[in-house]
Amino acid sequence: MSRRYALTAYLFLLPAFAFFGLMYYTPIVNIIANSFRTGPRADTFTGLDNFTRVLSDQAVHNSFVITLIFGAGTTIGAIVIGLALALLVDKPLHGRVVFRAALLVPYLTSVAIVGLLWRNILDPQLGILNRVLDSAGLPTQAWLNTNPLATIIGVTLWMNVGYTMVLFLAGLQGIPDVYHEAATIDGANGRQRFWRITLPLLAPTTLFVSVMSVISGLQAFAQAYIITGGGPADRTDLYIFHVFNVAFSARDFGYASALSFLLLLVIIAFTVVQLRIGRRGEVQY
Amino acid sequence: MLQRMSPASRIVSYLLLVIAGAVTVLPLIYMLSLALQTEAETLSADPVLWPESMQFGNFQELFKRAPFGNFILNSLIVAGGITIAHLVFDPLVGYVFAKYQFPLKNTIFLFLLATLMVPLFVRMIPLYTMMSNMGWINTHQGLIAPFLMDAFGIFLMRQFIQPIPDDLIQAARIDGASELRIYWKVILPQVKPAMAVLGLFTFVFQWNEFLWPLVATTTEEMRTIPVGLTLFNQEYFTLWHLTAAGSVILFLPTAVLFLLTQRYFVRGITLSGIK
Repeated sequence: MSRRYALTAYLFLLPAFAFFGLMYYTPIVNIIANSFRTGPRADTFTGLDNFTRVLSDQAVHNSFVITLIFGAGTTIGAIVIGLALALLVDKPLHGRVVFRAALLVPYLTSVAIVGLLWRNILDPQLGILNRVLDSAGLPTQAWLNTNPLATIIGVTLWMNVGYTMVLFLAGLQGIPDVYHEAATIDGANGRQRFWRITLPLLAPTTLFVSVMSVISGLQAFAQAYIITGGGPADRTDLYIFHVFNVAFSARDFGYASALSFLLLLVIIAFTVVQLRIGRRGEVQY
Repeated sequence: MLQRMSPASRIVSYLLLVIAGAVTVLPLIYMLSLALQTEAETLSADPVLWPESMQFGNFQELFKRAPFGNFILNSLIVAGGITIAHLVFDPLVGYVFAKYQFPLKNTIFLFLLATLMVPLFVRMIPLYTMMSNMGWINTHQGLIAPFLMDAFGIFLMRQFIQPIPDDLIQAARIDGASELRIYWKVILPQVKPAMAVLGLFTFVFQWNEFLWPLVATTTEEMRTIPVGLTLFNQEYFTLWHLTAAGSVILFLPTAVLFLLTQRYFVRGITLSGIK
């Protein structure tokens, strides 16, 4: 199409320029600028103070490590369980559509529902989980006190594995049957076909799932806000929950901005590394 | 279908699926049970699986204890408003990038896609300051404005508009149709299914959104359901029957949409994977 209509194009783009300029690019500029400022309104320039403060801030270090564990746990779990479920619902079984739907349902609920419901289920006094485990002869525990981080990783997986299952299912359905048929004729068993055909050909899906999962895991907030309050003893003080408190409880917008900006850099770094590794692992048959 | 499954592997598969399905669905059924229990039942040291008699009055009680009507209205206005905005803007911008040639097109598109890498937490504090300065904290417009469009929706619409033949657009131009009319009469009717998926996902996602409404509201009356419910639970932390009743209300629209349009949901998630 000719450039005659360039003016129309710009005209149609005006709302988008205004929106992305105001609601994305201005905030990005502001958060970087605020990182070098202090005061309740983040209006006093302090140079690199916020960043040097991060270096010696034990609470931030703790929060960062917790968040890395949380991100790793939710990502590995989402891949392993999501793929296992996808393989199951991909089989020629009656009612597989119903199972797919049932496994996806938690993903469609609000994180508020997930948080509140599981806080009740896991409660040491009122909770139903320990009663169910007890009647099944399994050991009970005060989940959020004994293993708080592992427990909120589990709750997050409960919510999200249906989503990764659907992604892996689409990936599985994109693998042409001929590869499996050829391998079967050549005498490959199910396990060999999984490791040599299915898994390598799923690499793009696995890469996408792991990138998305790391990004969302590192910025998880509601699990701490709703379920644990960051405790006990800061053992679930997820990074964005920490930033939220620095910003809106301590009213330290400058420091909170610096912390947010640093996490953004970490997320970008993780994404770049994952894409690099993913490219290297790509196969073609 | 490659090969017939052996009876043994069929049984094992079913068993695993039943267990997994029970783990995902039973907690939600328990939520429904809690919503219909008496307060005493929810506080029992021996948790009740299913109530003696169903307490439908819990739902009325919830509206008496909290401005739950406001919560619902706010959620409808915010999620509905954002969905409408997406359906107005995302296809239009997607159309421009699919079918127009103009200087700096690729650069502008790159800047647009770059916003996909900007999570909400990066925008949260600057947006809060901006909304405070504008007096938009604790208003519907303040809850809606940060989410009027998004790069993924635009990208998705561009993908669906690209295959529409240019000849159709040229023919309409020769017939003297205005550019806006071409968009409205030629382009939009062809991408209705994609817009349905976009609308559905935007609505459900925004209906469930938690962080921004938490940050950007200050009074009880302006809260959306997820935030209202969470803070209600914190303020009256023992009232699990009412918290569960509120959760049921929050999940109901999504559950109905999901039952009616399950294929769209699966399709939409799959689309999110083909970036």
